[in-house]
Amino acid sequence: MPETPQPITYLQHVNGTLRKAVGAEEGLVVFGQNVSAGSRISGFTKGFAVKENGIIINSTNTENSLVGFGFGIMIGGGKAAFFMKQLDFLFLGIDQLVNTYNIIRNSAHAKGSFTILPVTVDMGYEGAQSSSNNFADFCSIARIDGYALTNKYDVERIIATHFAKPGFRIISVSQRMYKDEIIDPGEPMVTDKDMKFAQYKDGPDTTIVSFNFSFPYAWKLGLELEKAGKTPAVFNVNYMTPIDWAPILESIKRTKKLVIFDDSKSENLSCFSLLAEARSLDLKKDIFIRRTLGDDWLNPVSDVMDIDYEAISQELSA
Amino acid sequence: MPTSSDTKKKIAEEIIRLRISQMIVNEEYKAKRLKVSVHLALGHEAIAVAVSEIMEQGDNLLPSHRNITHNLARAGKLRPILDEYYLRPTGINAAHSGSMNMLNPERGIVYTSSILGNAFPVATGVALSVKRNGKKNATIVIVGDGSMEEGSFYESMLMARSMGLPVIFLIENNEWSMSTHIDQRRSPIDASLFSKSLDIRYELLQGNNPFGYIEKLKDVRAYSIENNMPVCIEVKVATLGERRLPSTPEFPEGEFINYHAGPAPEVSLNEWPMIKESEEDPVFVLTKHIEQSVLEEDARRQFVILQKEIA
Repeated sequence: MPETPQPITYLQHVNGTLRKAVGAEEGLVVFGQNVSAGSRISGFTKGFAVKENGIIINSTNTENSLVGFGFGIMIGGGKAAFFMKQLDFLFLGIDQLVNTYNIIRNSAHAKGSFTILPVTVDMGYEGAQSSSNNFADFCSIARIDGYALTNKYDVERIIATHFAKPGFRIISVSQRMYKDEIIDPGEPMVTDKDMKFAQYKDGPDTTIVSFNFSFPYAWKLGLELEKAGKTPAVFNVNYMTPIDWAPILESIKRTKKLVIFDDSKSENLSCFSLLAEARSLDLKKDIFIRRTLGDDWLNPVSDVMDIDYEAISQELSA
Repeated sequence: MPTSSDTKKKIAEEIIRLRISQMIVNEEYKAKRLKVSVHLALGHEAIAVAVSEIMEQGDNLLPSHRNITHNLARAGKLRPILDEYYLRPTGINAAHSGSMNMLNPERGIVYTSSILGNAFPVATGVALSVKRNGKKNATIVIVGDGSMEEGSFYESMLMARSMGLPVIFLIENNEWSMSTHIDQRRSPIDASLFSKSLDIRYELLQGNNPFGYIEKLKDVRAYSIENNMPVCIEVKVATLGERRLPSTPEFPEGEFINYHAGPAPEVSLNEWPMIKESEEDPVFVLTKHIEQSVLEEDARRQFVILQKEIA
């Protein structure tokens, strides 16, 4: 009897895609804490090998300086990729992310490349010091190009489009999804050249939009609605906001029903500007699902949102 | 090897050019014609000229917000720098940078930062790129003593030593951080011991003798590149332009104000640009090596040239 192929997890797909990208780049400088030691950042950088003219550096624990170091490599015309265990650690580099990056892009003489790839720790069990999970909000501080990896297509497309390319960007993964089977939504019917957003389903019944790392919730709702005989439109926003909302607003004008998922714990959410514009369109129904925080939100509690898909489906049908 | 008299003369002319240029900027500043805040570095000319003198093609320099002497030394002229302070399109960075982030990549100034300690790690990254490209060049990051208090100083020295990077960490120690003297703000930092703890060579420069500075910096540059090692250099400087406020009951002799930024009201543009008869003033130090009459004649000549340049 032939063996049933094991499903590929989100982490395996991310790691495999990055492994190929890292191995294909000339002169790449990969650095970060434990990138080639121990668990390789829990498997994030497992099996990385660079070309002969590249280098992998198991770095010191100096996050602020490691960010500046990457910018220095970029000024020197090199290609740098900084892998880091936790988005929260990147707060230590905020001076470099804001001030150094501003100087670099203002002068435009830095011809190299710098990519930071932090893990957004969004399991929720790490406790008070690991509570930052709004990736797009983080990037918006200095208007940094930032891309959240959420599914099979966007992992491949974003890495192919942005990793090690000239300039600077941050690409983040979700720890919460590490062991989940990678979602394969197929080729999107609409996207943009930078992959700031993508539309994976189209239909006249409901417009579903996900932000940050909440694509799995949106995708599942789409499947549930299809089981109920509906044809929803499903969008995912990978980038800091606002973006050009026109394609999404066109869908909302047609469906008159909107469901937004945003799993961030920030007060200001990336979805707010879309929500404000959508609510001026005479909607029949809008359902806004965000991470609700209890009194214990700084304690080690789960960050997984408990979604009642059947209830949402019924509410949309009412 | 002793410095030849021609070389000495050239170095002295550079120091005088930097001094008069700054005095012209100061006058423009007093007249409120500058659009941006400038941090003058009167008294820092000897180290700036020495650094520029030892730099070779492909070397990188990353100064701080107090970068005027280094930019003047590398650019070789005042006009484009002054125009940048006016925010004119003819400025050295076409009015994109202003003062504190002024760049000159063609002449090696690849990055400047007004954030204390910010440029240390950037320099380590630049040095890594240089090293990986197989080039034998130095990366020199220049900051004030306030930056030594930032964590990035330790982090970057550690990184540069761990990765074997030829970075020269040069501290212009004027003992002041804005209006606060070292004694008022912190316990001592022995940069020599600190460097030794990281197995990094340390050198102390003091006395504003540019010829001695050049010899030492040449040696440090060669050592750093040949051994792929960082070096820490501490240079004692006095930022001239200090003044005292009018007498008050609390400060009968007037409160002492260290020059930090803005115009230096008690410094005036003179054909003979010495400010202080002490080793704190590099122009005074020149008189110990070259006849003062020769220096005065050169100062008068350069005064005219610079006035024509900015006319």
